[in-house]
Amino acid sequence: MPPPLQAQRLLLSHRRLTPSNRRRFTAVSSLPSAPAKTLATGAAPSSILSIRESLLSGERTAADITADYLSRLRRTEPSVRSFIHLADAAAEREAEELDRRIATGGHDAVGPLAGVLVGVKDNLCTANMPSTGGSQILDGYRPAYDATAVRRLREAGAIVVGKTNLDEFGMGSTTEGSGFQVTTNPWDGSRVPGGSSGGSASAVSARQCVVSLGSDTGGSVRQPASFCGVVGLKPTYGRVSRFGLMAYASSLDVVGCFGSSVVDTATVLSVIAGHDKMDSTSSSHDVPDYKSELIPLDLLESKPLNAYYILASSEASSNLSRYDGIRYGRQVSADDLNGLYGGSRANGLGHEVKMRILMGTYALSAGYYDAYYKRAQQVRTLVKKSFNEALERYDILVSPAAPSAAYKIGEKINDPLAMYAGDIMTVNVNLAGLPALVVPCGFVEGGSAGLPVGLQMIGSPFSEGNLLRVGHIFEQTLQNFSFVPPLLAEG
Amino acid sequence: MLSAASLAIPRLRCAAPRRSQSARNQWMQLRRRSLSSSSTCPYAAAEAGSGALEPPDLPRLADSARISLSPEEAEEFAPKIRQVVDWFGQLQAVDLESVEPSLRAGTAGRSLREDRPETFANRDAIIDVIPGYDDPYIKVPRVLNKE
Repeated sequence: MPPPLQAQRLLLSHRRLTPSNRRRFTAVSSLPSAPAKTLATGAAPSSILSIRESLLSGERTAADITADYLSRLRRTEPSVRSFIHLADAAAEREAEELDRRIATGGHDAVGPLAGVLVGVKDNLCTANMPSTGGSQILDGYRPAYDATAVRRLREAGAIVVGKTNLDEFGMGSTTEGSGFQVTTNPWDGSRVPGGSSGGSASAVSARQCVVSLGSDTGGSVRQPASFCGVVGLKPTYGRVSRFGLMAYASSLDVVGCFGSSVVDTATVLSVIAGHDKMDSTSSSHDVPDYKSELIPLDLLESKPLNAYYILASSEASSNLSRYDGIRYGRQVSADDLNGLYGGSRANGLGHEVKMRILMGTYALSAGYYDAYYKRAQQVRTLVKKSFNEALERYDILVSPAAPSAAYKIGEKINDPLAMYAGDIMTVNVNLAGLPALVVPCGFVEGGSAGLPVGLQMIGSPFSEGNLLRVGHIFEQTLQNFSFVPPLLAEG
Repeated sequence: MLSAASLAIPRLRCAAPRRSQSARNQWMQLRRRSLSSSSTCPYAAAEAGSGALEPPDLPRLADSARISLSPEEAEEFAPKIRQVVDWFGQLQAVDLESVEPSLRAGTAGRSLREDRPETFANRDAIIDVIPGYDDPYIKVPRVLNKE
């Protein structure tokens, strides 16, 4: 059973590293105005701005930058396994095409994300690239359109290098629930990267791509960011269009992003945020240029986790009824229609997904709605109210992103409540629809060089600019520590 | 299409046992077992706040959700689902008198686009992924199985 509810202590302490540990980290300036420094290991600069500067000055070509990332990706992918689908050949071609456009069109051809390799969580539709949602039931499925967030990245010049691994349909906190493969944490190959956006977090952590897209329904961007030592942003509900995001829980799902710095994360948000006529829950709230608002230097609440799981399972049981083997995805033939549904879903859907659909079906059954679903919605009102009160008095609320660092692979897989308990810092934020940013803040014992810990910052609706500003100051106070996992120091 | 709460259709199928597909037989057998009679069921003793609620009837839920569970899977799922549903039941103890339920966070936009039909540009890609297509129909097996 999860621990009883109690006020959580503020965690801002960090372990003092011994001199021998300190040597493993390379100091990298994170100030956008400073010229980008190459990491001492020989890895390419990882920031969007430094790529942009290189392309504009002609110092590097997009093909060169892409080759650099791809070589690192190929070296680390056998052990990390971030990607379900890799489009490396397509990425190389797009980079060459970009170089041709720059040669003829000059600076006009360099969009805000030109030449930036992105990983896309596989529950976001990418036209003519497989999109499985992490599920066998959609093995080989190619959507007919790009998700709006993906389309906007592409229009800004980004290159989609592949689809990242996830817990099936977003359900899980370790990425072990993928129907395809296990992704490992770049900081310790025997540990999980977190979930459900584990592949997106590990890909950025291992510098296989510059930034990535994920989704967050109960912590699925923030917790993997914490486990993998990268920045992860969960925007306000309605900030980013959900069109093309395979729905898990429609009132809780948001599209979020990962970067190795707050600046990169802010840049991606500016590109993907904004009203979309294809998503009626998307907000018309103004989209500022978040990175230009960055400047160079409490009170925690903890509420019922079970209310979140009731709502999420219930909404999922409805949303996932579309995977029936009729119009797309894997079909198991049968003599009658119900048999076809039953067999296709039994064969294609994984264990955790089936559990949640059944739990949701129960909570929504006639006679139980008042006891479960309605009560959970009432708890949601209380959560919103308590956040609103706190955010009237304080600009930002801070907490750990997760109660622990990364688990060992297999550690939580047989105990659902122990797994769910790991979400206790994150689900309330989804219930209230608030934005939250996670930045790496230090380490605890584990792995060969410590395991990263993330600090979560929560703000009022549409205050991403403020969160990013504070996060950026915090990042700069970390004595120029670079959160680069040890496996990149080899070779 | 599927409806998570639809209870009418399962009763129809109970009356048609003629199919001998093993999956269907297993399904029918599951329906006859009662999980609520298990002596380990926490609902057997009257728990605070959960008194009136029936424990989950797994075969019936699997039916509603249109997922064929094998007997092994049902054995594996039943205790886990009971454990989680028990945990859900802790909500009964929370005082929610006069609290309005919130359907959503309240931060979403509320705009609807113009109700004007447009032809989707990539219809071919949609048709390509349909498992059983016989222009212009999507093929499915028989819908009703009454004798």
